[in-house]
Amino acid sequence: MLLGIDVGGTHTDAVIIDKNGVIASAKVETCQENLIASIDAVLQEIFATGLDRSIRRVNLSTTLTTNAIIEEKLEEVGILTTSGPGLIPATFNFDLGKHFHLLRGAIDHRGSKQQELDETEVREAIKEIKGKGVKVFAVASKFSSRNPEFEETLAAQAAPVADFVTIGHQVSGQLNFPRRLATAYYNAAVWRRYINFTDAVATSFTKFNLKAPLNILKADGGTIDFANSRSKPVETILSGPAASVMGIIALSAISEDAIILDIGGTTTDIAIFAQGTPLLDKDGAGFANRKTSIRAIKTASIGIGGDSLITIDEKGEISVGPQRQGAPLAFSGPALTLIDACNVKGLCSLGDSKKSFSGCGQLAEKISLGALQLADTALTTALKTIHEKSLQLLDEINQKPVYTVAEIIHGQKIVPQKLFIMGAPADVLAPELEKIFSLETIVPKNFAIANAVGAALTRPTMAAELFADTGKKRMFIPALDYKKEIDRSYSLAQAKEDLIRILTEYLKENHYIDKAVPEIEVVTAEEFNMVDDYSISSKSIRVSCQIKPSLETDYLQGEKV
Amino acid sequence: MIQNLKNLGVIFFPAYDWAISPTHPEREERLLYTQDQLLEEGLFDLPNITEYKPEVATYNDIDLVHYCFPSAKEVSTESHLVAAGGAIKAARLVMEKQVDKAFAMVRPPGHHAMKVVHGNRGFCNINNEAVMIEFIREHYGRKRIAVVDTDCHHGDGTQDIYWHDPDVLFISMHQDGRTLFPGTGFSDELGGPSARGRTINIPLPPNTSDEGILYVYDHLIQPILDDFKPEIIINSAGQDSHYSDPITNMSVSTQGYAKLNQKLNPDIAVLEGGYSIQSVLPYVNLAVLLAMAGLDYSHVVEPDYDRERLCQNQQITDYLEKTCATTLKSYFKPAPLKVKLNQYDTRIKNIYYDTDGISDQQVEQVMVCSNCSGVRHLTSKTDRGTSCMGIEIPLDACPRCRDEGYRLLDEGRRNFKGSAIKFINRLDKEYLTVNEFELTPMGRYYF
Repeated sequence: MLLGIDVGGTHTDAVIIDKNGVIASAKVETCQENLIASIDAVLQEIFATGLDRSIRRVNLSTTLTTNAIIEEKLEEVGILTTSGPGLIPATFNFDLGKHFHLLRGAIDHRGSKQQELDETEVREAIKEIKGKGVKVFAVASKFSSRNPEFEETLAAQAAPVADFVTIGHQVSGQLNFPRRLATAYYNAAVWRRYINFTDAVATSFTKFNLKAPLNILKADGGTIDFANSRSKPVETILSGPAASVMGIIALSAISEDAIILDIGGTTTDIAIFAQGTPLLDKDGAGFANRKTSIRAIKTASIGIGGDSLITIDEKGEISVGPQRQGAPLAFSGPALTLIDACNVKGLCSLGDSKKSFSGCGQLAEKISLGALQLADTALTTALKTIHEKSLQLLDEINQKPVYTVAEIIHGQKIVPQKLFIMGAPADVLAPELEKIFSLETIVPKNFAIANAVGAALTRPTMAAELFADTGKKRMFIPALDYKKEIDRSYSLAQAKEDLIRILTEYLKENHYIDKAVPEIEVVTAEEFNMVDDYSISSKSIRVSCQIKPSLETDYLQGEKV
Repeated sequence: MIQNLKNLGVIFFPAYDWAISPTHPEREERLLYTQDQLLEEGLFDLPNITEYKPEVATYNDIDLVHYCFPSAKEVSTESHLVAAGGAIKAARLVMEKQVDKAFAMVRPPGHHAMKVVHGNRGFCNINNEAVMIEFIREHYGRKRIAVVDTDCHHGDGTQDIYWHDPDVLFISMHQDGRTLFPGTGFSDELGGPSARGRTINIPLPPNTSDEGILYVYDHLIQPILDDFKPEIIINSAGQDSHYSDPITNMSVSTQGYAKLNQKLNPDIAVLEGGYSIQSVLPYVNLAVLLAMAGLDYSHVVEPDYDRERLCQNQQITDYLEKTCATTLKSYFKPAPLKVKLNQYDTRIKNIYYDTDGISDQQVEQVMVCSNCSGVRHLTSKTDRGTSCMGIEIPLDACPRCRDEGYRLLDEGRRNFKGSAIKFINRLDKEYLTVNEFELTPMGRYYF
């Protein structure tokens, strides 16, 4: 049996799933001030049914780190960084606090040191940070994913005075210094809060005699194991939307290119699937005005939901959202909403339809329209906006730059075959959306517990890059902090083999103790000749691979869950 | 530094699967380290810089510009279509005001590709800038356009294409042709009879530095642009005047390039050469992008930059002062050509395609007309036995020159003993290829 817990913004859900599907579920209100209390309560409820507790694994999705960042409950971080030639240093100091130290030292794109660290300057910086009582550090240097030496030196120097040090290349192996810096900063800034939380979760599990291994959901629709998450807490941000996307796969077994709409009270979240797999953001998640390199499912959010307000501006234009004042009129809310318009149009009769009709009539009079006409225009406007935004997201994905002639001329595009809709107003809006999108439209049953089901069934994901330079006789996998000396004959084939082997070993040790590691997909594999004086002298090899988000397959999915 | 932010579109297309040959300077990884640098800087995350995918140019786009023999399809590869398509995308973004400026950082390059194309010259087959300019004029109407070619090699292809075009000002500053391929681009090359002074060349002595190119900008290019008042400024942006470029002999630095671009303030830049692919291109390309976007580029400095070593000597400074003064006069008062009104002026050109080893002898004639830039007629004979004809009715053609173009076509159909005629009528947007069998009059047979 698998246990999934989703600590959401309003509710905390738990489900237990076995080979026959969901066998128990529980729902309690989330207490944002005390998430542990919510977890305790939901466990209390789900185990109250007298189920035996032979749980094999627990997956937990939590808003803890997300909220910590949004609400700026962040610890002050001492930042040690080097940049070298390029953008002006001020560009990188995007308000990462008062303890930002840009130090001398430069590494270039090949990983060659162009300027040494200045030991005195480093020592002074650390002393200053320590003097201000700051106990967590983030170190990041430009091109550390090519050569981690500076980051290692800085981390070693800071370690004696720090409770925790985040090392840039370990949280972000791809090229993008500002994102690496922001990611390292967040990781350090949420670390203590996360450690305290996970300690409490462990205590709570002991109380319920839960001994199964615990995994935490990540933004990319996968999980990370409890122990590793404690040094990379930043990976757990935005796991809520990821749980809901994985939930919809569990509930509907998607295998084609598709558009997913999660229509809530205030917003609609759009995600795109390519052959049944959710697409990830190319560079990483954007968060609270800073861009990070955290792998995340690509979603677009738009301010239209069931409770969105219908308004008429001074020119007589009818619009829907993004404001929300409360429940629809039909549920004794304060003002006319999209759900009321659906009542008037006869798509549903939720709550007290009469209130919808009279409210709609009153508003319509202002511009000399009938209630039905207003409802019709409002609904069409809302759904068209959702449609346009979906096409925009799709276009953005299909327009993603590629760098070879073959990909430009013969590259594949995503062409959605189906539309999946979930959320409270899904059933009501599905027939209308089906017309506008002209796609087969499916509303999965049981979407109310989708997040918890998604959490329960989600498997580990991982991404890693390898960079090898046969001239420098160096191979490096930043995410795993794996370095090896290579000889000049090192090839692309060897690089691919090495990356897959080393990643598999890592996964066996950390994630898949008793199970086969899923297929590791090689995303890019490139080999370039480096030419000096018109002859090929060495090779630059770049390989990246990933384990895509997926669900446990030996647990029942689809309609019957 | 006061920043004047511009929305910049970047079409980055490194063509990682295309090379002339594995160790040729124009090979797969030419932009690899540039990409590494741009990605590591997070350049495309800056709010005013956006990356776009190139379009794919069509053979029709190419046929607006070139006489390709035997056809556009056979002298180009898919890579050329993508590179030219990258330039087209840049133009579209700017013309439709989606961005303020655009840089098509694409390869293969194009500025040595001339009006007639039989193969590859100077790493170029298709002239990306010219395809872009004609795309602009075909879709957005007649415009005054200035092309400033800052590549270290003379932009002989672009010069050839716009030799007779008074609407396109072509300025090339490059290492002196006596010391570098293609061996042309001297101060007395000033354009044909209808576009006299619309071609300007500034040969720079070897070892000219930042100081030199900025002097040329301030004292020659800027005054000419002030007078010409272009609606669109295009930088044909070669990065190979850099002091560490392996195939040239200049002393320009990253900061020099960035300052030049800041002053020139081009609407569109299209990448040309630049072959110091590891130690320089990442920095120059980054600095030029920052300059175009109005961002601070002062920290983009080569690790081995040494100001003293790069100082140009007094002789160069003196030479440039003199050259700028005389060339400026040539722009305002070019030495007139000996031509007769309403008659054809003839130009003989011997062109060598260095990559493909083809020699081509061309006879080009332009009608000296007081009402328009004149109908043009060209024959081309290669050492491979190919004989071809091109006829062009320009965008501004007067009725007489338009009729003359059709008369030439008619006569060619009847009497031309070659393999093909390319007919370009920009006025009425009619483009024809008349091939061998159509040229063969009834009852006659020849190769």
